Amino acid sequence: MGVQMVQLEHVTKEFDDTNVVDDLNLDIKAGEFLTLLGPSGCGKTTTLRMIAGFEKPTSGKILLNGQQVDEMEPYKREVNTVFQSYSLFPHMNVFDNVAFGLKMKKVGKEEIKERVTKALKLVQLEEYGNRKPKQLSGGQQQRIAIARAIVNNPKVLLLDEPLGALDLKLRKQMQLELKHLQQTLNITFIYVTHDQEEALTMSDRIVVMNKGKIEQIGLPVDIYERPQTRFVADFIGQTNILEGSVTEIEGDMARMEFSGQTIDIPKTNEVTQGEEVYISVRPEKMKVSSTPFDSSINLKATFKEKIYVGSVTKIVVTMSNGKELTINEFPDKIEDFTETSDIYVNWSPNNSVVLKK
Amino acid sequence: MRKNFEKAYLLLSPSLFWLTLFLVIPVLFIAVISFTTNGDFGAIIYEFSTDAYSAAFSSLYAKVIWQSIWWALIATIVCLVVAYPFAYFIANSGKWKNLLLLLVMVPFWTNLLIRLYAWIILMNNQGVINNVLMDWGFIKEPLALMYSPGGVILGLVYGFLPFMILPIYSSIEQLDKTYLEASEDLGAGPVRTFLHVTLPLTFPGILAGFIITFVPAISVFVVTDLFTGGKLLMVGNVIRDAFLVEMNWQLGAALSLLLMILVLLSLMIFMRFTSRKDRKLLV
Repeated sequence: MGVQMVQLEHVTKEFDDTNVVDDLNLDIKAGEFLTLLGPSGCGKTTTLRMIAGFEKPTSGKILLNGQQVDEMEPYKREVNTVFQSYSLFPHMNVFDNVAFGLKMKKVGKEEIKERVTKALKLVQLEEYGNRKPKQLSGGQQQRIAIARAIVNNPKVLLLDEPLGALDLKLRKQMQLELKHLQQTLNITFIYVTHDQEEALTMSDRIVVMNKGKIEQIGLPVDIYERPQTRFVADFIGQTNILEGSVTEIEGDMARMEFSGQTIDIPKTNEVTQGEEVYISVRPEKMKVSSTPFDSSINLKATFKEKIYVGSVTKIVVTMSNGKELTINEFPDKIEDFTETSDIYVNWSPNNSVVLKK
Repeated sequence: MRKNFEKAYLLLSPSLFWLTLFLVIPVLFIAVISFTTNGDFGAIIYEFSTDAYSAAFSSLYAKVIWQSIWWALIATIVCLVVAYPFAYFIANSGKWKNLLLLLVMVPFWTNLLIRLYAWIILMNNQGVINNVLMDWGFIKEPLALMYSPGGVILGLVYGFLPFMILPIYSSIEQLDKTYLEASEDLGAGPVRTFLHVTLPLTFPGILAGFIITFVPAISVFVVTDLFTGGKLLMVGNVIRDAFLVEMNWQLGAALSLLLMILVLLSLMIFMRFTSRKDRKLLV
């Protein structure tokens, strides 16, 4: 497997007596597309800024390509950043913006011209060298910001919510372009976002952060299908969380008592009898019917409403304990439910993810 | 569209009236007077004459005008060199910012005349500075701190330094700090970040400071009056003397107009190099 490109060892950052980043340990491999994902204030941007050098960790070590850098000034580090606001220099044209890093490294004029042209070509804006950043659209400015960073051949490219200001369609397109760019250049990308869909689309690995700590590290499919904590299950996509206690364990299966009903759950995470647990079931894994299911999972609830969102219809039901569940169904498969009519909810036990309290 | 313009003029009419009455008409008076004939005891004889302009462009007055431009220019440059680091320091001084800005403004609460008197006590031949230097044996003769162009420039710098600090401060304050981070990120250390990013991006502030320092510096007469006892002259002194001492209103008016044109020219240079947004720094 690849070399470790960035290593964070027990990194802590304090601001005003609160640990914004709390004892973080993380190894990032060379050539990896790694995403730091979490809600605002979770410490993801601070982590990125410590790797860039704009913040110094209160304690802990940061290694870049095996060399300790946590006290090194940002201008000496072989990393480049794509800023959220792009931060293109307004007094320079596009060419000079992209050439800035090379000029600072005293690269020869001919080589600068060649490399800048190549970088602009890579982001498909080679015709725009003479324009001022102001004269470009948001998406174009975004590409210039990327060109300005990658032209320096950084060991690691840091991206701080770079697509946040773009509209949805352009954002989707840029997600794929960035992913392809990363594969072509084979540079390590560390990407910060609060958008879980963006993280799932682009990343090799995702680090889910909350309150300065890592909740889970894993492949996108792990994060989505096998969340390890309630926070991850809740934050990534939509889910239904059910709370109950384990009543019996039998071979591969366990049973949980939930709101007066007993349901089968997979026997994962080493649950023990009598333990209070959560289970998380994705809306698209659930089915509804007006007639009871012939299955061990057959929750009785009342129909509340259905919401058409295009590709699916969301059905919201109220359980006997007053909590709501959301189920996604294809619009053409839905029976006619009337308000307050009885409705039965079913899913395969394997689609429940058991989360310890 | 047309209707909107009419409404706009209606709304503007009080200020337009004000400007016409107290700015446009007086300037027109001055322009007219500058082309009349000088009579006995300062009488204005309404006969066309360009005598005032011949006098104004004569070597005597031309020398004073050039001298004024030159001194005001040097004083403005000294102000810039002193003000930029200071403004930079204030803008980055965190919670002390407001206190430091207050200190910059405090001198405005006292009349320049009175503050210049205070300087005389310091700079006199028997003043504090000369006495201390002589007591310590650094110099044998008192330095001619006053009665010299150097003294005038010092007075101008002292008087107008805040005018330079404030617009520069404001442009540094408004500078988006992520540009500096971007520069560092791209491999520029503090010095090169300053030269390539901070300085060009705060240039409008420098230009604004330059104008609002240069304009009063070139026309002030109290500094030369107090620091040189009227031995050295700036154009402000000459204008005042023409009106009040020589009773030659035509010459005073002509010199005033020339000064105004000079100031307008420097404003035009400012407009040429700045965008609409940057011009707010002047106000």
